[in-house]
Amino acid sequence: MLGPDPSWYLVVAAILFSIGAFGVLLRRSPLVVLLSIEIMLNGANLALIGFSRVHGDHDGQIFALCVMAVAAAEAVVGLGIIVAMSRRRLTLDVDQFRALRG
Amino acid sequence: MIQGAWLCLLAPLAGAFAITVMGDSIGRRTAGWIATLAVFAGFGGAVAALVGLLGHGEEEREYVSTAWTWLDTGSFQVGLNLVLDPLSATMMLIVTGVGGLIVLYSVGYMDGDDEERRYFAYMALFVFAMLLLVQGGNFLLLLAGWGLVGLASYLLIGFWHERPEAVAAAKKAFVMNAFGDATMALALFVLVWQTGSLAFAESFAGTEEMSSTALNLVALGLLGGAVAKSAQLPLHTWLPDAMEGPTPVSALIHAATMVTAGVYLICRAHPIFEAAPAIQDLAAGIGALTLVVAGLVALVQTDIKRVIAYSTMSQIGYMFLGAGLGAYGFAMFHLMTHAFFKALLFMAAGVVIHHLAGEQDIRQMGGLRRLMPFTFAAFLIGSLALVGIPPLSGFFSKDGILASALDAGAYGYLLFAAGLLGTLLTGLYTFRLFFVVWGGDPSPLVERHAGGGHGRQSERAASRAHGEPHGGEGPWTMLLPVGILAVLAVVGGWLQIPGVWHEFTHWLEPVAEPLVEPSLGQELLTSSLAVGFGLVGVAVAWLFYGARRREAPDARGVRDVLEHKFYFDELYDLAFYRPAVALSALWRRGIEEPLIGGSITGVTLGARRAGTLVGGAQTGYLRSYALAIGFGVVVLTVVFLAVR
Amino acid sequence: MTTALIVLPLTAALVVWLLPLPARVAGGLALAAMLAETALWGVAVARFDFGESLQLVDRQTWFSDLGVSYHVGFFGFSLWLAGVSIVVCTAAIAYAWWARRERARAYHGLLLFLTGAIVGVFAAQDLLVFYVFFEAMLIPLYVLIGVWGGVRRVQATVKFVIYTMAGSLLMLASIVVLGLSQGTFDLVESGRSDSVWIFLGFLVAFAVKAPLFPFHGWLVDAYRESPPELSAILSGVVSKAAVYGLLRIGIAKFGEPVQDLQLAILVLAAVGLVYASLLAFRARDVRTVVAYSSMGQMSLIVMGLFSLNEIGVTGSIVHSVAHGLVSAALFLLAGMVEARTGGTSDFARIGGLAKGRPAFATLVLIVGVIALAVPGSAIFAGEFLILTGIYDQGWWWSAIGAGAIVLAAMYMLRAISGILHRSRELQPPAGTRDLRPAELGVLVPLVAALLFLSAWPASISERSFPPAPEEAAEVTP
Repeated sequence: MLGPDPSWYLVVAAILFSIGAFGVLLRRSPLVVLLSIEIMLNGANLALIGFSRVHGDHDGQIFALCVMAVAAAEAVVGLGIIVAMSRRRLTLDVDQFRALRG
Repeated sequence: MIQGAWLCLLAPLAGAFAITVMGDSIGRRTAGWIATLAVFAGFGGAVAALVGLLGHGEEEREYVSTAWTWLDTGSFQVGLNLVLDPLSATMMLIVTGVGGLIVLYSVGYMDGDDEERRYFAYMALFVFAMLLLVQGGNFLLLLAGWGLVGLASYLLIGFWHERPEAVAAAKKAFVMNAFGDATMALALFVLVWQTGSLAFAESFAGTEEMSSTALNLVALGLLGGAVAKSAQLPLHTWLPDAMEGPTPVSALIHAATMVTAGVYLICRAHPIFEAAPAIQDLAAGIGALTLVVAGLVALVQTDIKRVIAYSTMSQIGYMFLGAGLGAYGFAMFHLMTHAFFKALLFMAAGVVIHHLAGEQDIRQMGGLRRLMPFTFAAFLIGSLALVGIPPLSGFFSKDGILASALDAGAYGYLLFAAGLLGTLLTGLYTFRLFFVVWGGDPSPLVERHAGGGHGRQSERAASRAHGEPHGGEGPWTMLLPVGILAVLAVVGGWLQIPGVWHEFTHWLEPVAEPLVEPSLGQELLTSSLAVGFGLVGVAVAWLFYGARRREAPDARGVRDVLEHKFYFDELYDLAFYRPAVALSALWRRGIEEPLIGGSITGVTLGARRAGTLVGGAQTGYLRSYALAIGFGVVVLTVVFLAVR
Repeated sequence: MTTALIVLPLTAALVVWLLPLPARVAGGLALAAMLAETALWGVAVARFDFGESLQLVDRQTWFSDLGVSYHVGFFGFSLWLAGVSIVVCTAAIAYAWWARRERARAYHGLLLFLTGAIVGVFAAQDLLVFYVFFEAMLIPLYVLIGVWGGVRRVQATVKFVIYTMAGSLLMLASIVVLGLSQGTFDLVESGRSDSVWIFLGFLVAFAVKAPLFPFHGWLVDAYRESPPELSAILSGVVSKAAVYGLLRIGIAKFGEPVQDLQLAILVLAAVGLVYASLLAFRARDVRTVVAYSSMGQMSLIVMGLFSLNEIGVTGSIVHSVAHGLVSAALFLLAGMVEARTGGTSDFARIGGLAKGRPAFATLVLIVGVIALAVPGSAIFAGEFLILTGIYDQGWWWSAIGAGAIVLAAMYMLRAISGILHRSRELQPPAGTRDLRPAELGVLVPLVAALLFLSAWPASISERSFPPAPEEAAEVTP
């Protein structure tokens, strides 16, 4: 089998996911939050492809493709919202948007 | 024959229905004539039934005719059936005969009233209900008639509904009667379960197998109904108030027919009462007590109609006494003669009230003798018959009851003494009324009306334009019934003369075998004593009120008690009405609003509070949601790992 | 036949609601549909053989593996209950048409839908079908009270929704458990259950619907805030769904639990009877009197059902039919009072309406005295049978019932006097004098039916349960 041991893929995937998760939790700018979410999704994709490699079939890759499609759609909607917000000159700070407070 | 009975029952109903449906399309007077015609058609039916009965042998005089099944649950059936026997035929004749005369009288008396049509529809309805009561062939129909006469009485007492007193009196009468209906209904429940039937013959046959407790309960329940309807102690307080109704109503319902229904009931259900002798004795005792108490209260009344009303209570007390002793024939006989002379007294009083434009206070009256000679004579006949002076009708019937008491042992002697005291009181209050109204010089009020009456219009609270004054004592429609009843009050008693013939009691014997048969000696002894006591009463009345030789004694304490009618009204107010009102208010404030209404408010409030509480977790910070998700994932992972 | 009776109003509801007709035409169409429904019911009665048990059956399998089927049909007693519902709803729709309710298409459509659902409840022979119709009946009620109600309609609706929802959910749970444990949801095929808990689930739902003390919190607001014709349907007809449920499911499908809880139910009914009668006696307006009186009468009907003998149960049916007509007539009369006094039936502000209104006064009197169970009336016939039946369980029950008749006389007379007598300062506007022909047209058929039943209550009592005891055993224990 070519390349490193499959567990390394998982380690990298976990690191990517964690970076993304911390980004979502810590950053305030919606743009960066969106980016962090993309990183998380790609971490997940990497794990899926790694598993696909372990099992030797293509299911994981198909899943990854689906996730990419969803991620693209999400990025479009998210960026659209962010652009609309900046057009209305709203502060680009996720902590300012808490209308759903109980 | 049986067709006559059906005609008798249905003609008044048809009359009431016709007047209601035709409404404004007929004149007021026409309504009166329709009602009169309907009731007299009923009388015709009753006569036909009587003739038919007389044509049969004594033991065959009982017919039951069923129209259809009224109520049916498979195991238990009640038919819409009529019973025709001497007892019901007698009552039919009294109800339609006297009733017809009184409706005819009303044509004159109510002339000019705004709502004559309504009045006559009610009157016809009443006659129908009363006939249903006396003709019903089972206890349920009897109870139906029982309730409907109460309803008609309510409607007629409250006829002048713009007078709050009239409406209050009507409600009081209905509620007290509803109490009687309820106790009667209870008695019927027992009967249904014990005998499986409410038809007279079958339930009487079933009494032999009943326990004495059940029998006593049934008899007590029936007696409760009888006492309420007949205004006996302690359910009597509605009757004097019922005088708020028009005078012909008082004559028909509250003297001649409805209030005597209790006596009819005891006679009709005599096998049950005989099987429960304690209750039958109680009935006689109640009668004796009522006749004395009512006689006492009548002494101090100042309203002409109320005096006669208390006198009615007292006379029905005699009937209860008789029926309770088992002298059914005499009780029914007194019922009949009483219907004659009491209706006569009420209607004569009505002529006076009509003539004096609605005045009912006897202190305002006096010296009417010369002004209204015909009415004077009629009233005198009625008074003498009431006191029981021979040879007028009251003499024969009342003395029959008293003589029967002599034949009933020690308890009978006690009742006899009460009855004699009653005759004394009767003489006293009757002739107090008589002397005050008719004797002496004309009072200022009478002087004012001397030139001819103005009609009764102002008896209505709303003062309206007076009708055309008419000369004489009143229209012929009023005087004719008075005349006929005066004749009946004289001759009505001759059906039954001690030692000569016993037509009336003999006629009723197949239905209700009497328990006591006074001997001729007892009859004679009673007659002399009763007439003597009656005359003493009259003499005392003459002394105080006729000749005015002496001032009436002014015993303050006694007078207060009597004027407050022994405080029965106050007692009932305190014992029933106020607790009901208080309990209702307490429940509304203590249960309905805080608990029942509050519980639902509590549910909504609780839901809202819980929402606020849980809502605190929703900070609105995106990151806290993300953290919660992450934390949740960690927890789930740990759980899955641990569980595996 | 039965399906036609259910579907006709439902179809008419869709037509009236969806077609863009003018308001008057829509109302007229609704009334025409109801008259056709009444005629159809008449045909059903003519075809019905009262000597037999379940008839006019329609059955289609729904979920075969669960034993659920669309199964409808009538017993003698449920045919009468359906009949009184149809008559009352017809009168209500006629009154609504005359009163020109706003948004007439929706209003009449909902009323028609309600009618179809009610008929469905009385016809249901399958637990799930019963539940579906029972719920379908509530939806239009929520909307009708909430949209067309009086000032405090929102509060009334919220209460009504909470109570009925709670009851319905408990009933749904009971239905699921009962149906699964019996292996079928069919009421004819399923046997008896001995579980107290399942029975309690049904009991609470029906106790809310009737209502029984202390489940009546929704009653006064709903009856007072609804339009009068809706109050008429609520008290006259919808409450009878509880009677059908208690009889067809409660008593018929539970043996021991009914025996065990009989005393408790009788106590609740007796308390409710006295409680409601006393509150009616001091109520401030006509509608509240009728509302509490309706609660009292329903308590009496439940007493009759749980006397568990033929006389009492038959009495409950007679009383249900008569009370359906009486309370509908009373609420319509209350509406007519309000139409003459500027929207109030408060005793402090009305009175003296007898003067110059003979037809109105006559009808108030007739309906009022029938409602207070004057001996000889249809209501009296029902009460008499109920109290005779309950006497078997102890004389005190009958005594309480008889006492309540006296109380009924007191509060009904007070209401009659409050409407007709005592002129007050508030003068009703001229021009609304006596009843108009349309109002008479609505009321007179109801009153005529009542008078007919008074003359011949056996028409119902003889024809409620088949005479053969083994078949009656299916409904009456």
